[in-house]
Amino acid sequence: MAKARTLDRRRRSISGIRKITRTMELISTAQFKRAMTRATTAAAYTERVTALVGHLARSGLEVSHPLLEPRPEPKLATLLVLTGNRGMCAGYNAGVIRQGVARYRELATVASDVALEVSGKRGISAFRFRKIPIDVEFTHFEDKPSFAEVDVLAERYLQDFTAGKLDRLDVAYTRFKSVSHQQAVVETLLPFHVGQVDNLSYKGHETQYEFLPSAAGILDEVVPMSFRVRLFKCFLDAAVSEQVARMVAMKAATENADEMISHLSMAYNRARQGQITNELLEIIGGADALNG
Amino acid sequence: MQCIVVTPERTVFDRPADFVALTLYDGEIGIAPQHAPMIGRLGCGEMRVAADGQTDRYYVEGGFVEVLDDVVSVLTRHAVAAGELDEAVIAERLFAARSRRATNPEAIEIRDRAVFQARAQLHVARRA
Repeated sequence: MAKARTLDRRRRSISGIRKITRTMELISTAQFKRAMTRATTAAAYTERVTALVGHLARSGLEVSHPLLEPRPEPKLATLLVLTGNRGMCAGYNAGVIRQGVARYRELATVASDVALEVSGKRGISAFRFRKIPIDVEFTHFEDKPSFAEVDVLAERYLQDFTAGKLDRLDVAYTRFKSVSHQQAVVETLLPFHVGQVDNLSYKGHETQYEFLPSAAGILDEVVPMSFRVRLFKCFLDAAVSEQVARMVAMKAATENADEMISHLSMAYNRARQGQITNELLEIIGGADALNG
Repeated sequence: MQCIVVTPERTVFDRPADFVALTLYDGEIGIAPQHAPMIGRLGCGEMRVAADGQTDRYYVEGGFVEVLDDVVSVLTRHAVAAGELDEAVIAERLFAARSRRATNPEAIEIRDRAVFQARAQLHVARRA
């Protein structure tokens, strides 16, 4: 009976695992939907801000701002890496970490001082493992990063950049393109680039706006605002991508578990039948011997 | 007239209004229906939305207001109903901002802005 029992035990443990992966899949599906709604809202906001910049550009204003000025020889750079707090999401964390480490090495050759800021337990342990010192660690950005939390970071970067304590800010995160496509990327957020203003299509409205205080005055505020929103968007994208990655990974795991369970069931049944046949043969053999 | 308030996180509200008062960078602006197209920079302070004889009050911090086709869109990074502000918390924040050390012009500017925001918030909270 030994073999059949081992098979049965394995089958039970796998169906336990299946329960976990199935639950995780459901949870991440729900979280993904929520995160997606938030990302859509933020995208709508970004669109409005970009449209605003478009209106400004159309009023004949030269788009220039201290945050937009390139700094040819960056000395003080910061790299922000956004990873998840948890695993079970296939290559999601590994992808971001790979990009982050590569950019860190690259920055270290250019800049004299590179500060590394990592969000997420997975990223923190990965950088520790590589013996790369982390300057700031965050673990409080879960699947629902709030604008107020991200704004604290944005404010600090803006202050440092204006005060000359920061020349360049890079963010490594997973960009969410669609449900089937996410990509780990590194983006330079400071010095800032305003989205392609020239490519905006001005259909319909040829409205003359009144600017209060002036087009230039609005621009002074638009640029930092766009930066804040862009940084927030990075966090949201990372959150959405993590949920998608987990959803897909857990779906695959559940399917694999199903397949394995059916294999094991078959093996178990066969083993059980074999044992019964064996026992019958023994009984028949014993009876024959007695009669003989 | 339609009034829409959006923050990066959510649409705070989207509803009809008879009159909207907002704090711009240098003072208050009142927007009645059929206002001319306008883009304005917001300051920190109170926003009042009057509809059906009832006025709701909010605290709005920074951002822009755009008036176009009888729609007032407010893009801000922070918008809360005045009733949700906690006076004690804000007073504490004001104190922290005021006691921050600032030794160069940039730092002084940053500090002043923090103090100004906290004061504006406190003002709205006290009126509630």
